[in-house]
Amino acid sequence: MTVRQTHDRWWAPWLFLAPALAVVVTFILFPFANTLALSATDATLLKPGRFIGADNFVRLWQDDRFRVAMTNSLLYVVCVVPIMVAAPLVLAALVNGTTRILSFLRTAYYLPVVMSSVIVGLIWTNLLDSRGLVNNVLQWAGAVDSPVLFLSDRWLTLFSAMLVTVWTGLGYYMVIYLAAMAGIDPALYDAAAVDGAGPIRQFLHVTAPGVRATSALIGLFSSVSAFRVFGEVYVLTGGTGGTGGQDITVTMLIQQEGTGLQAETGYAGAISVVMFVVLGLLLAGQLWFQNRRASR
Amino acid sequence: MKKPIGYVLPAVLAFALGGCGIGGGGGDDSSAPVTGKVTGEITFQTWNLKGGYADYFNGLVTAFQNANPGTTVKWIDQPPEGYQDKLSADAAAGSLPDVVDIGPEAAFTLANAGMLLDLSKTDPGAQSAYLPKAWDANKFASLGGGTYAYPWYLNTGPSFFNTALLQKCGVAKDPLPGTYDTLFAAGKTMAGKCKGDTTMVGRLPAIETFGTYGVRLMDPQGTKFTFNDAKGVELVNHYKELYQAGGMTEETLNKLQTGELDAFKAGRVGWLPGSSYTLKDLKATAPKVAATVAISPQITNDKPNMYIESLAVNAKSKNTATAVAFAKFATNKENQLAFCQKAAIFPSAAGALDDPYFTKDDGTPETKLRLESAKAVSDAIVYWPAAFSSKSGDHLREQIALAILGKKDVQAALDEAVKYADGNLPKK
Amino acid sequence: MRRVVRYLILLAFFVLLAGPLVWQLSLSLKGAGDDLYAQPPQLVPADPTLGNYGGVLDRVPIPRYVLNSGIVALLVVAGNVVGASLAGYALARLRFRFRRLVTGLFVVALLVPIESIIIAQFLLVRSSGLADTLLGVALPTAIGALNVLLMRNGFQSIPDELEEAARIDGAGVWQRFWHICAPQVRGVMTVVAIFSFVGAWNDFLWPLIVLSGEENYTLTLGLNRLRGTFYSDPRLIAAGTIIALIPILVVFGFLQRYFFRGLQAGGIKG
Repeated sequence: MTVRQTHDRWWAPWLFLAPALAVVVTFILFPFANTLALSATDATLLKPGRFIGADNFVRLWQDDRFRVAMTNSLLYVVCVVPIMVAAPLVLAALVNGTTRILSFLRTAYYLPVVMSSVIVGLIWTNLLDSRGLVNNVLQWAGAVDSPVLFLSDRWLTLFSAMLVTVWTGLGYYMVIYLAAMAGIDPALYDAAAVDGAGPIRQFLHVTAPGVRATSALIGLFSSVSAFRVFGEVYVLTGGTGGTGGQDITVTMLIQQEGTGLQAETGYAGAISVVMFVVLGLLLAGQLWFQNRRASR
Repeated sequence: MKKPIGYVLPAVLAFALGGCGIGGGGGDDSSAPVTGKVTGEITFQTWNLKGGYADYFNGLVTAFQNANPGTTVKWIDQPPEGYQDKLSADAAAGSLPDVVDIGPEAAFTLANAGMLLDLSKTDPGAQSAYLPKAWDANKFASLGGGTYAYPWYLNTGPSFFNTALLQKCGVAKDPLPGTYDTLFAAGKTMAGKCKGDTTMVGRLPAIETFGTYGVRLMDPQGTKFTFNDAKGVELVNHYKELYQAGGMTEETLNKLQTGELDAFKAGRVGWLPGSSYTLKDLKATAPKVAATVAISPQITNDKPNMYIESLAVNAKSKNTATAVAFAKFATNKENQLAFCQKAAIFPSAAGALDDPYFTKDDGTPETKLRLESAKAVSDAIVYWPAAFSSKSGDHLREQIALAILGKKDVQAALDEAVKYADGNLPKK
Repeated sequence: MRRVVRYLILLAFFVLLAGPLVWQLSLSLKGAGDDLYAQPPQLVPADPTLGNYGGVLDRVPIPRYVLNSGIVALLVVAGNVVGASLAGYALARLRFRFRRLVTGLFVVALLVPIESIIIAQFLLVRSSGLADTLLGVALPTAIGALNVLLMRNGFQSIPDELEEAARIDGAGVWQRFWHICAPQVRGVMTVVAIFSFVGAWNDFLWPLIVLSGEENYTLTLGLNRLRGTFYSDPRLIAAGTIIALIPILVVFGFLQRYFFRGLQAGGIKG
């Protein structure tokens, strides 16, 4: 056992943590506590509310729109997360290297990440329109007879939004994977090559396991942000939440009910609470699953 | 070991709780008569009027400041996006500008929270300076009948038809459809001839459409909504039949006003209930459509519809007298006329519409359009009830879409929409 | 053969990911004679012009807005790189009571939906007198929970032996942090910097709520002025978005070199 020769002061960790804690507690945790309190009232934006207990939650249970929103948000997680864990890794593996071309490509792939959601929305709305580029190509190739309603059919719209999410997320997670891949010992690759493994085998047996911690982290992050999806669906549906409001997500519901002059901040607070609980369950579930795998 | 957090949290709590108090304290300042000198600084906020009209507003501010020495008017213009969010943030924080450009629906919500001056109590004499229906647009029955803003500019427009599209799809362009019945009939004809994504109407009926169709929107006391009556159902059924005949696509069910305009510009929509600057817009951004567009009076079974923007005064202003003076100055006849000559909108000041600018024809199509629109404005009323919030409008559109898609019965859909809208009315 | 397949796939991704940007570029160069709503869309402008860029620069004081956005972005990046690194280090490498609890706090903060706290945040900023200031815009995002956790992850992957060696040599907390551990996580720091910059640069709703005076507008707010109440011109908007992209591309291009250099620097890996 090594003898430690310096003792850290007890207040050292807290000093390090102070700025981050100050910002996060003041600007996130505290307002959220406020929201929690609001969820038990009938407050609107301009009028303080009276305490109404669990009435908001009862109303939520009976609200059709909430049911639709939950379905959409959960579907989003189920469909998007697997892609977001796997695809950027493949891309990172392909684009890893030091040549000029690869360097250029890495930057190019990151471009969608840096565009603001408004721009991205406009671009894709144009592309996916019934006479837009995508439909033109499909019809020219003979794959469909009449335009595909990417932006009005309920399920197609959701699918299109997922496409946009993946499009903007590929570069984002690719960069994180690249950073993680840099930590893999090159000797492992050499050993695999000696054993006769080609690039695909090397990827499956060296790269993928080597970034497992990062994959897990990305799984967590992307499921949280998938459940919280807002921008893509908002812009693709033109702010409406789809035909008949059928593509609305939980975050959109919060935005619709909680902002604007007639905001019902109490009701929106209740939705936020439910959302928070579901997210907590999602996280806990993933962590439990990962712990089981790790302990095998 | 003491946790530093333990000290910080209660402090932050106490601090922020104090800051988060909304609407507490202070009496109701919205109905006391306005006294005080016209002096000091006020803020004047407009909505997206800087691009192109900056000179006018700077001139307006300078003129007022010169006429009232000792006053300073700070002019702020808000970007088009997120105006409601900005208003709501300012209102919640108690930092509304002194004079604010606002529509009736937003004015209703703010008035409901006691944030706007009630002109019927503080300045009843002002009523005579404006068109009666403009004044009435800001009069809120369910809040006790007060009026909460000085009327400013009005906006209406004729119907625009894409004659090239009509011709292609077998609809006679002479005469153009002039009533709702002929419009829907033409829509069905169009559906028959032109399969695909062309359509006669560009979006679902909004509350104003119900109004112009002849549906009674609210009961006379303004305590509940009534657009789910037989006539309302009839209107929705027209759209439903049109959809089933192929005259409307699923895309149309989701369009907002801007989407309708874009689709018209792309040459996919036959009819556009436009505004007075639509022609200019078409010429600038969609020349092909502009070349074959025809203009005819607004389609209505009753009176034409119009929109209004007004200037409301913050009840908690520090210089109320100055704010009131400026609001009245900006909305007086001369200044309104000057503004309307720069922008294609119409004045709400009494007598302004009689000005030769709106009555003398010089033969150009722009003038003809303006004269026609002005005539429509003198007949028109603001159909959209101020108590019908934009949230209720979104909900209505969604319910109608579900009904048309067949997922809901039409009557049930309208009943739900009414129930939602009623839920947003001030509670007694 | 393998190389060909690899580059084909990469090319396909390039078209998919960069193509739409090219479309915006095309749109920004189209003149008055181009029908924007033509179906199918035309990539090459029939009436090319640089007038749209001029139009944007006329209507919107771009240099000032770029400066404002830059100040906010600088504050956010500095705050995040410094604050998140400090906190991440503490959570990853220092042992203290309540460490789990504090980590949990950051995770909880990650889950809070922004939309439900934005008004409360504004009220807070306002009562601190920071409304309508660039500091007020930057402060709530100055240190993000996500960045703290990212840095924590980065610090965790440093092998213990490195720090133990320093401890034995008598290095205090700060020295271990500054001289030993921080250099190891330059890659992650760069990632945090890039993410923070992009987030701050493109933010729209929050600056809109906090700022009321035009002098303080950020670039996204300024560009939205291009949408007039009475008509909107997609060409101007396209030109504006291209202008907004340039600083980001510059920053990213510049940082990218350090990012990959940092990855290759190694440390104990030799």
